[in-house]
Amino acid sequence: MIRKLAMTTVASMALTSTAAMADVVIADVAELSGAGAAAGAVWHDGVKMAVEEINAAGGILGEKIDLKEYDSQTDPQNSRAMVQKAIDDGAYVLLGTVYSSSTVVNMLVAQQNGVPQITGSESPTITAKGNPYIFRTAFGAQKGLPKLVSYLKDGIGAKKIAVVWANTEFGKGGYDAFMKIAAEQGLEIVADVPTEQAQVDFASDVAKVKGSGADAIFVYLTEEESARFLIEADKQGVELPLAGDTVLVSQKVIDLAGGAANGAFGHVGLSAEAPVDAIKEMAGKFQAKYGYGADHNAIKGYIGAYVIKYVTEQIGEFNQEKFAETMHGLCLDAATHPGVLMDVCWDDTGEMSRESFLVEVVDNAQQISKTLPAN
Amino acid sequence: MSRKHILFAAIALLLLIFVPMGQKNYIIYVLTSWLMFSIAAMGLNLTLGYAGQISLAQASFMGIGAYITALVTLAGYHWVLGWIAAMGATFVIGLLLGYPALRVQHHFLAFVTLAFNTLVFLVLRNEEWLTGGSHGLVGMPRPDFFGISTGKNLEFYYFVLVLFVISALVFSWIVHSPWGRAFKALRENPVRAESLGVDTRRITLLAFAIGSAFGGGAGAIMTPLVQFIEPGSFGLIHSLKILLMVVVGGAGFYYGPMLGAAVVILLPELLRFTEGYYLMIYAAMVIVLMVYSPGGLIGLGHKIMARVRPKKEVRKDMAKGAQL
Repeated sequence: MIRKLAMTTVASMALTSTAAMADVVIADVAELSGAGAAAGAVWHDGVKMAVEEINAAGGILGEKIDLKEYDSQTDPQNSRAMVQKAIDDGAYVLLGTVYSSSTVVNMLVAQQNGVPQITGSESPTITAKGNPYIFRTAFGAQKGLPKLVSYLKDGIGAKKIAVVWANTEFGKGGYDAFMKIAAEQGLEIVADVPTEQAQVDFASDVAKVKGSGADAIFVYLTEEESARFLIEADKQGVELPLAGDTVLVSQKVIDLAGGAANGAFGHVGLSAEAPVDAIKEMAGKFQAKYGYGADHNAIKGYIGAYVIKYVTEQIGEFNQEKFAETMHGLCLDAATHPGVLMDVCWDDTGEMSRESFLVEVVDNAQQISKTLPAN
Repeated sequence: MSRKHILFAAIALLLLIFVPMGQKNYIIYVLTSWLMFSIAAMGLNLTLGYAGQISLAQASFMGIGAYITALVTLAGYHWVLGWIAAMGATFVIGLLLGYPALRVQHHFLAFVTLAFNTLVFLVLRNEEWLTGGSHGLVGMPRPDFFGISTGKNLEFYYFVLVLFVISALVFSWIVHSPWGRAFKALRENPVRAESLGVDTRRITLLAFAIGSAFGGGAGAIMTPLVQFIEPGSFGLIHSLKILLMVVVGGAGFYYGPMLGAAVVILLPELLRFTEGYYLMIYAAMVIVLMVYSPGGLIGLGHKIMARVRPKKEVRKDMAKGAQL
């Protein structure tokens, strides 16, 4: 017993001493539990993998990363408290959160404290608030959706669209952007179906869009709800094309929907199936390490951690203000900065641009049908 | 109120004044949010614990209070106006919600209040012109008082502490007044209460109205605390959270909701070192507590004290009193 105790003490002391050597604290505030766990946990695994790689290669400016994780419980107020805690714990840069409804709350705290924050959120509002410390890892819906709308109109010749969307910060942002672009392009909206976060039964929603006389259905929901919608659409024998953005055709949704996602297509900012060698290599390592496929959230988290390394090395010191200043208008090319996987640029608002893809789900896997230029 | 009671309250107050000093922002934020939820839970304790009327709508009253305060302060008026408007409006709405309680009881009443909570959530989310819809309202300022700012977290904590003390004093006055006894009478035996001349109709409505006004007051604090409000923060799950605070702490005990709020807000923090398991451990602890002590933590404390403390020995020949 005493021996066991002594061993434990030694082991814990050894562990604390490694933590003490690691100098730069990076905080990952993510949805590790609650309705957003399907997105946040994957993002966190992506971050962890990148941090391990960076540490194995000598860290940032010779200092190891001490990665601290904080669970937002998919609750905006809790995420705010966690960001405050992360800042108290001395975080140099914040990673997260993924859910836009959390990010709009907690980014205020990061801004007040002058801590750069790299988020996985895609709601257009995030970068529209003039916060100089927020940066994206994937472009906002307002950038991706025009590409999808053009494809719906010209690619498959749809004129009437049914829209199914999540009535949350994330969903509302995408919905507003989509409706604006659809009106500009002259598409007619024949059904407009808002849904709840954590909704389980989509039977009536599917019935409504099925009988609406639409040529195609635009689905803008978060991961678990997308999968449930697809399963219900499959059950009710919906033959219409199902279009979405990154989430609808993400690997997580494909896995959850178990076959019902086949045939769905979408415009995707990041995909493990993208015809980019660096992404394929990263996805392979991720699969081997965690035993499940990487999706866009995993890639976003992975890129986010590497961005911290590259930007810090570029400024040559751990300076939060300079970090934020440098990232505005910065471009990182994948050839000299392999961790970003694809060439990427940020503008003055923290919004980013990168090449994107049109994807179709075939045999439970994403198949890239087209690569679209950055906008 | 006994001298022991006053001494305890004074020590607790001193602790509340000194504990946050020198603490980091996060700790101060958590403590502030504990004080805020304590006020909301106090209100529910009055409705549920003292008057025995179950309500699953406390978060919606916080929501109404928070939105009213937000709209008032965003329009450029002082926070105090928002606070008064919030408490006044929630008092009136609570009074109206009390009417169904005159006709339905127990789980039926729970469903009525549950439906009300959902209704408020939907109004907050769908009336975009007023509430900002899913995007919520953002950028509410923290108030100034006679040139003293509450902008920093520690200053804001003391501001909330003052409101907490006022709320606790008002609450104490209510439960020790004839009203408080009428509330308890209503809970224990409404028929007997009525036969003794208690106007149960008025008392039921008042229990709802005052409890809701406490919720509205807490909501008025949330607006400048978080500086961002959206409908999701006032959903049913949050009403259940406040109910959990009252039940875990001990419904019907004065300090119950404060202790309960501390457990619900601080315990997940203390258990965080267990990483992925903390929510499971937390849930299991709540189940065990409810099974062994339906009176919550204070009820559990009473149980333990009753066992440990030597009992007053009654002389055997006096046990049956005057019968002998």
